[in-house]
Amino acid sequence: MQASEQQLQAWMTGGLDGDAASHAALLHALVPLLRAFFGRRLPGAHADVDDLIQETLLAVHEKRATYDRGRPFTAWLYAVARYRLIDHCRRRRASVSAEGLDEILAMEGFEEMTSAHMDVERLLAGLSPKQAQAIRDTHLTGLSVAEAARNAALSESDIKVSVHRGLKALAARIRGGKRPS
Amino acid sequence: MNTDTEQLILRLTREVPVVRRHVVARRIALGMVCGAVITAVLVVTVLGVRPDLHSAVHGFSFWMKWTYTISLGAIAVAATARLARPTGLSLRPLWPLAVPALLLTGLGIGELVRTPARQWLAMWLGHSWKVCPWLVLTLALPIFIGLLWSFRALAPARLRAAGATAGLAAGAWAATIYCLHCPEVSALFVLTWYSLGILLAALMGALLGPKLLRW
Repeated sequence: MQASEQQLQAWMTGGLDGDAASHAALLHALVPLLRAFFGRRLPGAHADVDDLIQETLLAVHEKRATYDRGRPFTAWLYAVARYRLIDHCRRRRASVSAEGLDEILAMEGFEEMTSAHMDVERLLAGLSPKQAQAIRDTHLTGLSVAEAARNAALSESDIKVSVHRGLKALAARIRGGKRPS
Repeated sequence: MNTDTEQLILRLTREVPVVRRHVVARRIALGMVCGAVITAVLVVTVLGVRPDLHSAVHGFSFWMKWTYTISLGAIAVAATARLARPTGLSLRPLWPLAVPALLLTGLGIGELVRTPARQWLAMWLGHSWKVCPWLVLTLALPIFIGLLWSFRALAPARLRAAGATAGLAAGAWAATIYCLHCPEVSALFVLTWYSLGILLAALMGALLGPKLLRW
């Protein structure tokens, strides 16, 4: 589970205010993000990826004063990671396709993930609470029908029917272009 | 997560000092002011303040020169502050430099219209065209070094561009201080020879940036 932009930003701000626990939580949360970022750009180079993760954590720590509070944290993070990647390749005299920051942000999908999540929630809000919860449990959280049934104290067939009707209603809304408010 | 990374995070979070707000701006300002003090001392002690400064500050040309160099300096500092962060990748903040340059060009054309053609060359070269750009470049050095110190705490991602704007800022503020010495009055003189000195400082920054601003 990746930490959200808001969560990362809150930890970063906490660290800037001198809270060591926030700073530690931030650095820990960055490791999987950075592993994905460097892993995608240097496929197979595990040792290099590990080096780059550590160099970037160090840079995030040393250069944290250059993060502008209130601005998106991930944009700053990927800008630092991008610089470390370019510097790494320059030292190795290897060439790297240094994409622009905008492309990186789109690729790392933060904005899309956040806005997709918001769209789904907006759509679900138009359904009955029972249907919305059933869809959330089985399709977003990833529970099995049996688990969802136990949580909601309903029968399994009840959950299945709720999911089926809910999805049908959503599909009709989306096709009709009418978005529930 | 491997143990090295775990160790690193432990080490980095043992002490987490508070970072004050606007620390990038403060750091740039401090580096520049320290350099500018040295430049000012050099102008006063080595070159000497122009003897008629008292009356010159009531004249047009003194303020024309200062408006030009100060506005260049302000724009260059703002661009430097943007490029000092890793997210600063655009050179768009430099476009406003065109405004003071065009205004001064307009004044220069006015001078040409008012002045007989045979005096154009003397007006353009003034008394100090040979030394002016080099003095501006030399006086820019202390401010540029101050900015290099500022950058040690900063994180530019475009090193050549950051070096160039730092050089531009140093050149423009050095020229501003140099105005205390230089008695030239022509807009064309300033547009050519001051700008040349400032551009030389920017060029120096662009050449040194990739080497000196790495982090």
